[in-house]
Amino acid sequence: MARARRLERKPAVAVAVTVVFFAWLYLPILTVALFSFNDQKSLSAFSGFSLRWYDDFFHNDALLESLAASLGIALVSAVGALVLGTMLALGLERVRSRRGRVIGAITLLPLVTPEIVTGVAALLVFTGVGLKLSLGTVILAEITFSIAYVTVIVRGRLANIPLEVEEAARDLGCTPLQSLRLVTLPALVPALLASGLLVFALVFDDFVLAFFTTGVDPQPLPVRIYSSIRFGVSPAINAVGTLMLALSALLIVAALLLPRLFNRKSSSLDLITGGERR
Amino acid sequence: MNTPAVSLRGLTKVFAGATVVDDLDLDVSSGEFFSLLGPSGCGKTTTLRIIAGFSDPTSGSVLVGGEDVTSTPPHKRDVNTVFQSYALFEHLDVRRNVGFGLRRKGIDRADIDRRVAEMLELVELGARGKDRPSELSGGQRQRVALARALINRPKVLLLDEPLAALDLKLRHAMQAELKSIQREVGITFLFVTHDQDEALSMSDRVAIMNGGVIEQCGTPEDVYENPTSVFAAEFIGTSNLMTGAYAAGAVTVAADLKLPIPGHTGSTDGDQICVAIRPEKIWMSDFTPAMVQTPGTIVSTSYHGSTTQYLVSVGTGVTISVLEQNLPRMRADNRWEPGDRVDIGWLPEHAVVLT
Repeated sequence: MARARRLERKPAVAVAVTVVFFAWLYLPILTVALFSFNDQKSLSAFSGFSLRWYDDFFHNDALLESLAASLGIALVSAVGALVLGTMLALGLERVRSRRGRVIGAITLLPLVTPEIVTGVAALLVFTGVGLKLSLGTVILAEITFSIAYVTVIVRGRLANIPLEVEEAARDLGCTPLQSLRLVTLPALVPALLASGLLVFALVFDDFVLAFFTTGVDPQPLPVRIYSSIRFGVSPAINAVGTLMLALSALLIVAALLLPRLFNRKSSSLDLITGGERR
Repeated sequence: MNTPAVSLRGLTKVFAGATVVDDLDLDVSSGEFFSLLGPSGCGKTTTLRIIAGFSDPTSGSVLVGGEDVTSTPPHKRDVNTVFQSYALFEHLDVRRNVGFGLRRKGIDRADIDRRVAEMLELVELGARGKDRPSELSGGQRQRVALARALINRPKVLLLDEPLAALDLKLRHAMQAELKSIQREVGITFLFVTHDQDEALSMSDRVAIMNGGVIEQCGTPEDVYENPTSVFAAEFIGTSNLMTGAYAAGAVTVAADLKLPIPGHTGSTDGDQICVAIRPEKIWMSDFTPAMVQTPGTIVSTSYHGSTTQYLVSVGTGVTISVLEQNLPRMRADNRWEPGDRVDIGWLPEHAVVLT
């Protein structure tokens, strides 16, 4: 493989700027992670290693309930957005019409709309139609907001699958639905995985939408953390934050690595498609 | 008489006001290697897509094996397609690409495995069964596409410019291979191409398409030797076309040039007719008494290795192209030069009158 030509010497200024940038970006986060292991309540002096704040967290029913709620919201939203977003992508990409282009553009709006506007709007709609605020309304709002991510990613992949491949499937005896299941969806697996994981990660720690659309109890984790900080910062929050960070990092790594695994020669795809058993 | 493998009856396709296929009638015999030859936009690919079922005709009907399939969806037609882009399933290995159609038909596994192995042998990919399509070369991908379609033993195999993406040498090799595979399996091939060489060398019959209609249909020898239209004469090979008024067994091409066309019937004096003569059918020496001869002057020569092309002026504004083989008995430096006076001549049957 040809390698791009690089500068022989790294300019010192660029190195310095990079180091400062990463320090600025990650030091606060690292501090949170570090102090989650502190054995004292202090947030300024590290006195010794301990897991007591994790222990605190795992015995705090309210926080645990919120964690479960947030995981549930993220999972249901990811699946919902995946199904609707993929259907929208298929419609936009495979049914060509002038209206389609307008709809395609409108689809992208949630990506640029300030989230606080989406949140207020969702709240207005829910109270307007008399929906009781609960985890259900959070999920509804999150799905609405996340469809755009799925559609953008899946459409990009779909545009690279020639129409002829689907015609070949039909030519070889597939009904349109079988062609979707046996040929189109397997080819979309990397995009489906990536967008599903992305939506999960985005929704799991989303604060703004959750804040506007959640009911009283149980509250999504970010909302719960925000309200507990108002009564003084407990290092248990550091522990929760560190766990969330670890989960998000894991998801992002998975989203990046899984599609590569599927491009290998292995037939592990069959586990997911199910349709082409040997 | 056998039922034709494919019959098209008054097939018409209108796209956004433009007639792409215009009242087409065609019968392809069972076991035949039939080519639809024409420039891009002539309607040949649209015709193929209508037969496969990917496109609905505006009017007319499609019969496969005598059965009307005009409104049958593609997955229920006994027809398979080799796509120009091959359209392989990248997420399946070669064996499962090839076995895809059989699996859809619910044939049992052992049978599929055996037939896939046979088919891969036939296309010389026996060792590549477990590879993904992305690991194959262009020629190998082409053969997977062929095997995947052939294994279903369709009544007709539709091939949409399947060799267009291959380089010249590979294309020539695949032409011979395709032809021999077709003979071996005995399946009707309907082959779409814009490459006249390909169509002539492989087909039992060729249909020349232009503007949505078939200009001429016949054996390769027939369409080359006896073109019936100006389009056919110019699209396949090259032709010297000369137009003029017919009178008493000759055509007046220019004020100072009357070409005799002995043996021609069907025109009356005063008719405007067009005569086509292939450049390689014109002699510049060794004439026989039966030949029509006319004097001329060499305008230019161009050397092409095995042949030399001469442009010969034979009358005011009339230049005829002549193609001579560079035979061993003729020295390369001992040919005609521009300005030389020559005689050119041809056998009367090689001057074809076009309609």
